[in-house]
Amino acid sequence: MANDELNRVWKSQETDEKLELPDRIIAKAKKHRQKQIIGIVVMSVTVLILVLFTLHYITSYKNDFALGLMLMISSLIFRVILEFAYLLKVENKIVSLDSKSYRSYLKKHYQSRMKINYVVTPLCFGLYIYGFAKLLPFFKKEFSAGFYTYILVSGGISFILLIGLIASSILKENRFLQILRD
Amino acid sequence: MITEEDFVEVYTLHAPKVYKLCLGYASGNQSLAKDWQQETFMKVWNHRKSFKNQSSIGTWIYRIAVNVCLSDLRKTKKYELAKRKTSIEEQDSQEDEYQTKKITKMYSCIERLSMQNKTLILLELEDVPQATIAKTMGLAHGAVRTRLTRIRKTLLKCMNNGQ
Repeated sequence: MANDELNRVWKSQETDEKLELPDRIIAKAKKHRQKQIIGIVVMSVTVLILVLFTLHYITSYKNDFALGLMLMISSLIFRVILEFAYLLKVENKIVSLDSKSYRSYLKKHYQSRMKINYVVTPLCFGLYIYGFAKLLPFFKKEFSAGFYTYILVSGGISFILLIGLIASSILKENRFLQILRD
Repeated sequence: MITEEDFVEVYTLHAPKVYKLCLGYASGNQSLAKDWQQETFMKVWNHRKSFKNQSSIGTWIYRIAVNVCLSDLRKTKKYELAKRKTSIEEQDSQEDEYQTKKITKMYSCIERLSMQNKTLILLELEDVPQATIAKTMGLAHGAVRTRLTRIRKTLLKCMNNGQ
């Protein structure tokens, strides 16, 4: 009798949301898959171009400009690829594991993410800033004093924003890991 | 393999239950629950080739739904229950007000359960058979039955005494 009360209360709730029709879901799913494929293609092409560019510049122009540019681009791309690989792995686990195994997997996943957050991301970030610093003398030489100051200021602001973004993401993941451990 | 016709059939059958399950995970946030319900079925469609008929299609869908909700829990907002309380004040009918209070209380009691117990009771409240719940969760059928009895007692106690 008391059990029925739970079922009665749960079923009595009205929901305003109208669910999408199945054909709309299929269309959205196809679009999502298409975006994933485009993402992989774009990333592969970018990596290929970067490798060719590196080979060309390192052998032809051994200067700080090429090195700085290379460090900035490659650290960013490496971090993006890592993120993408994580996303694809989680997606496969979502559809293949039962809830208990998936939860265990998520715990391990977020523990390894902590290593990424505390080691790999700061390293990539450090390389990015180092690359940027390598470019500064060239900017100073090539651009006007005003524009150079603008690059310095906007670069600094971007770094601060990026640090904020990374920190907030780390905090979120830490909080989620705590929920999973409870 | 799941054809488009099969998909329409399983969607019609399971989408409302998956939505309510997600609603429980999202503490009553309807738009978040709708997002998760859609994401679940998008994954069902995109990964339909990986469904091997080792379990029923229902079990597979509930597994995906629970995993999607679990993965995305970072997005839930704690203020959702408070928002629901505010909306009660705007209602005219006393009966509606009483009912909404009960539902809000139920959500708040479900919120206090552990993650696994929350999933168990949400699936049970949607009349998913216990054998399916056991397979979805990766637990033994007997363990599911025992735990559900305990969870129901805890929930009723919480709803009646506010503990």
